[in-house]
Amino acid sequence: MKLTRREFSAGLAAGLAAPALMRSAWAQGATIKIGMCVPVTGPAAEQGLWAQNGAKLALAAVNKAGGVLGKQVELVIEDDQTTNPGIVLAFSKLAAQSDIVAFLGSIRSTQVQAMAPDVIKVGKPVMIGGTNPDLTHSGNPWLFRFRPNDNYSGRVIADFGVNTLGKKKWAIVHSTDAFGTAGGKALSEALTKLGAPPVLDQGYANQSQDFTPVVLAVKQSGADVLGTYFTFENDLGIFARQLRQLGVNIPWVGSPSVVAVSSTKLAGPALFGTYGVADFAEDSSDAAKTFGKAYRDAYKTAPDNQSAWPYDAITILSAAINKAGSTDPNKIRDAILATQKFAGAEGEYNFDKNGDGLHGYNVVKNDKGKIVYDKHIDFND
Amino acid sequence: MDLVLQLLFTGIGIGAVYALVALGFVLIFRATNVVNFAQGEFSMVAAYLMVVCVELGLPYWLSFVIALAGMALLGVIFNLGVYYPLRHRTYLPVIIATIGASILLSNSVLAIYGPQPQVLQGWFDTPGIQLGPVYLDSQYLLIIGVTILLVLFNFWFFEKTLLGKKLQATSQDKEMASLLGISVSTMIMITFIYSAVLGGLAGILVAPVLFVSIQMGSTIALKAFAATIIGGFGDVAGAIVGGLALGVIETFGAAYISVPYKDGFAFLVLIAFLVFRPQGIFGERVAEKA
Repeated sequence: MKLTRREFSAGLAAGLAAPALMRSAWAQGATIKIGMCVPVTGPAAEQGLWAQNGAKLALAAVNKAGGVLGKQVELVIEDDQTTNPGIVLAFSKLAAQSDIVAFLGSIRSTQVQAMAPDVIKVGKPVMIGGTNPDLTHSGNPWLFRFRPNDNYSGRVIADFGVNTLGKKKWAIVHSTDAFGTAGGKALSEALTKLGAPPVLDQGYANQSQDFTPVVLAVKQSGADVLGTYFTFENDLGIFARQLRQLGVNIPWVGSPSVVAVSSTKLAGPALFGTYGVADFAEDSSDAAKTFGKAYRDAYKTAPDNQSAWPYDAITILSAAINKAGSTDPNKIRDAILATQKFAGAEGEYNFDKNGDGLHGYNVVKNDKGKIVYDKHIDFND
Repeated sequence: MDLVLQLLFTGIGIGAVYALVALGFVLIFRATNVVNFAQGEFSMVAAYLMVVCVELGLPYWLSFVIALAGMALLGVIFNLGVYYPLRHRTYLPVIIATIGASILLSNSVLAIYGPQPQVLQGWFDTPGIQLGPVYLDSQYLLIIGVTILLVLFNFWFFEKTLLGKKLQATSQDKEMASLLGISVSTMIMITFIYSAVLGGLAGILVAPVLFVSIQMGSTIALKAFAATIIGGFGDVAGAIVGGLALGVIETFGAAYISVPYKDGFAFLVLIAFLVFRPQGIFGERVAEKA
């Protein structure tokens, strides 16, 4: 048989291409892929970086311990731009890669809400940090929450303020996005149950440059304690400073952003003495301490909830896939829901049928710029 | 009454910030007939330059001078890189180029400096003065003071100096100006430098109040843009009045009607102006000019 020049070049091309093709085919099966939608740009890019840090820290530990189903785990990161359209786009990009077995969604409820319809369509487990209670209570079987939801934060804020601080005249200030609205509502309901309905319920729009009208409303309401749900730390920083400038010095118990690292830095003395509920408190448990030390060693900065929940999410998800023995979405789902008494950085995980892993909060205090653990309040329901 | 005074002060303070940025919009619009959508990013870049210098341990005044010098340089680069190559095209490619430049600037700062918002100390050590029932934030006082000074300076500069008159001539009729021996490209270069410095000044002044973050420029610029339209596009006095009006209206709207719709009031006023008086408050003079 005589080899024509055309046949020769075709054969040569195939021969050259084969190793590359084989390598890519091999690579596809060589790792377990987890997709992560996270802000790389936009207002929450800072927190997005910490979330990536937390996830990568857990990933390194999982891979060091032998990976998942005998393979190394790989994180595929997509920028959600801190916007709702951004996360929908990011999720659809990730979902198009069929070899991704599960996802990490947002810490922002409004973004989780935006992506939720697509999550149902894709039908694979998505770990979330958004704390709006509705997210896991509206029949979406694929959302798993790695932070306690705002039913609990509202109840803990109310319980701590009323029973520990002994304050009954509440002013509530909350963002008008999905997170802030749900949080404000939960706090208001919890206070009403404790016989202390709020005297002021004040919403504000995110990225406000000035909070004078809000502060004056708080001042005029005659409240003796302040409960807040702020979404963005720079908003909180501006509000805190104006609050003190205009002479409001009542006790303040807020959602986690009050005790977040960046608010503490931005607002400085204006936040001294405030209480915050924190899903993550470094001194609350041994698991939290271990995570805190590893995080400090790796990134030379203090950890907070932004990095703690992705850390727990990757750890528990990897353990669940290992337990399920397969990457079948339904089996992974069952394994996550079966996770009980798991000591994570954020607290003890006991997943309920809705996909909520945690059921309580820590109360921490800003003691002259240092965040100190005060007490843990857990609920059974 | 106490409440009204407090709100008025804050409204004027935040309005002065809008006015400063609006001034930059107007100057470039007058000289080149395009809106520079990177004006807000000028503020952000200057604030970051200031943070960097202060962190290096330089004195505040020196950091201020360096940051403004940096802005002048950015104005030159911006003119040569964004406006000059497109100067013979219609306004559309130029506007799109400025949007592109704004994205480039914000993401460059993000890449270099990272996403963490920064704190910049205010000019004064005392945070503010309690004047009877009203608390006067020292930084807002400074911003209001600088705005008043700039209004006076602009008046003097554009009406009383030869350079200012050359700039005005260029903005009114480029062909005529060049026939009279005025170097149009030099005048436009000066305009870009001046607006970059103005935008930078606004950024540095507002940074201690709003913190230094990547998106600080765009949030202010949006309001400043609305202020420019309300004042009458292309009018220096209009930019100042429009900015102050917007600040006061949104602060009072928030206090007496609804806080969550605060931004809504600003844009409602904008829409009302676009419908009923599209030329803005000081629009007639612009019409005469055209």
